[in-house]
Amino acid sequence: MNLRESMGIALGGIRANKLRSFLTLLGIIIGVASVIAVVSFVEGLNRFVTQKLLNAGANVFVVDKWGFITSQEEFDEANKNPDVTLADADALREGMRHASLIVAQAGSSAPLRYRNKVMKGVPVNARSAGYDLVDDLTIEHGRHLSELDDTERRPVAVIGPEVAEELFGTTDALGKLVRIDRYEFEIVGVTKAKGKIFGQSQDRFATVPIQTFQKYWQERGSFSLAVKSVDQASLELAQQEARNILRARRHQRPGQKDHFGITTSETWLTLYHTLTGGIFVVSIGVAAISLFVGGIVIMNIMLVSVTERTREIGIRKALGARRRDILTQFLVESTTLSVSGGLVGIFFGASLALLVGAVTPLPAALSMGAVILGVIMSTGVGVFFGSYPAARAARLDPIEALRYE
Amino acid sequence: MLIQIRDLHRVYQVGESEVRALNGVDLDIEQNEYVAIMGPSGSGKSTLMNILGCLDTPSQGSYQLKGKEIAERTDDELARIRNQEIGFVFQTFNLLARADALHNVELPLVYAGMKHEDRRRRARESLELVGLGDRMKHRPNELSGGQRQRVAIARALVNKPSIILADEPTGNLDSRTGEEIMAAFEAIWKAGNTVILVTHEPDIAEHARRVVRMRDGKIESDQVNPNPRSAKLPPAEANGAD
Repeated sequence: MNLRESMGIALGGIRANKLRSFLTLLGIIIGVASVIAVVSFVEGLNRFVTQKLLNAGANVFVVDKWGFITSQEEFDEANKNPDVTLADADALREGMRHASLIVAQAGSSAPLRYRNKVMKGVPVNARSAGYDLVDDLTIEHGRHLSELDDTERRPVAVIGPEVAEELFGTTDALGKLVRIDRYEFEIVGVTKAKGKIFGQSQDRFATVPIQTFQKYWQERGSFSLAVKSVDQASLELAQQEARNILRARRHQRPGQKDHFGITTSETWLTLYHTLTGGIFVVSIGVAAISLFVGGIVIMNIMLVSVTERTREIGIRKALGARRRDILTQFLVESTTLSVSGGLVGIFFGASLALLVGAVTPLPAALSMGAVILGVIMSTGVGVFFGSYPAARAARLDPIEALRYE
Repeated sequence: MLIQIRDLHRVYQVGESEVRALNGVDLDIEQNEYVAIMGPSGSGKSTLMNILGCLDTPSQGSYQLKGKEIAERTDDELARIRNQEIGFVFQTFNLLARADALHNVELPLVYAGMKHEDRRRRARESLELVGLGDRMKHRPNELSGGQRQRVAIARALVNKPSIILADEPTGNLDSRTGEEIMAAFEAIWKAGNTVILVTHEPDIAEHARRVVRMRDGKIESDQVNPNPRSAKLPPAEANGAD
């Protein structure tokens, strides 16, 4: 009924005392802004990570010596496991019926030289054929590494566009000879650019055949095997198959713990969700404290307002305002106040998230859900902390209120 | 009978002691009377006015407004009666400082639950009636004392109440402006309204057709005013004089 009037009074009050209003609403603003910012970050990360993990590793699990290690004890234990070798990879290729692809992987980093140009610390990825599906790589020029490159241990390499650009500039990289560490490799392919994740370029690498890698750098040592199952449904089955084959090769007795590890993107997602869940809980806690303090400040300012306007309340009652009219009026005022703070908070939080998203590699996505959450929280604070002052206003005796100086 | 009061008592508890503000008042007021309630401070006239205006309820005795007993009404019912039956005019005007004249006059209609357009129309009519048709968008601090009191009168009239209850309506005004306000009351009374003035100034009480004198919580005398003084300026002319 007099909703618009009450909102008008609250907004007019905010406009009339901008600094005081800002200070009053600071708690709400900080609370809502932090929730919006954190929700936006986590949301952005979620989308990003889920997409990356699921894209690159759809139906993929990884077999290696270590498995999923979260403690020193687990590390010591896993360290005793035998190495996972290329022979294991061959055994899996031979024995698995639910695997469409098995890619052996290893990695190092080394300087790359071409004539007088040097790039230091370039990641060198050693892969067997089919790696493009697991690493999510597409060729721009030339070709991918083939099975023959691998079995014949050819000194050939596929490089990322950043490496091509830095070493060869605009000239064609294909067929050029590059030194990786001390050995000469021929460039047979350049991949399509993928951009950056968390500030890390995904286009700065050299991929070489794994057996070439083994010949030059790593005669012994453990590899990890990326296994792609035929489809989503057979992922579990494929893992069981791989487990059986590897246990047999390691002569393990039933009941004994695997002497190797199997991890899926699911494992990483679980860890990731645990981490972000923690961030979430902590930030909600911080936000709750700010909102509580903000609510107390609003309650305080509303109590002052009720006292300042005792006479007005008396006048309104003399003219026929019922208790609930006065109650509604002050509740609408406190809610308008805190929702204004909430909107400013949403604005700041979203700006912060988008700004950080723009200038740092952290992704951020502003979700409608976060905005609605912000509005609901600030409304709740306004109603909750406004109800005591509003009830005090509604209970005032009209005669005393009219006489109040 | 508009107002019928029988053996009305109002006792306040002040610390340990009791204050008998009203101590057995009997009073009848008919429709379209023009009554002044007079008395020195502490005589109980303000308490009587508060009870008449349904801002306060008696401790004992009966107050019937339009035949209905007021004493045992709930807060919400009293609010409704104040809204529909009573139009207050106060010594200190009691306008909302932040709102313009039109909005101030509109306020009782807001609490009556009237629609926005109807409210606006009625409030405009009421302001025109007191000669402030050209001051609707002015806030109280942009109006003179007399104009403010006329806004208050327009507000008291807007819901077409049974009683206009004025508490020292000229107390904060100079005598010339006071005269204008009294002229406004006279016009309202002549238009068929019931006007009850509470005042301690004999000059003001002289305008009424009936004068009730109070002392020590009782009615001392209740007389018809043999020669009521007519206010000189009709409200429409008074408007130009400010």
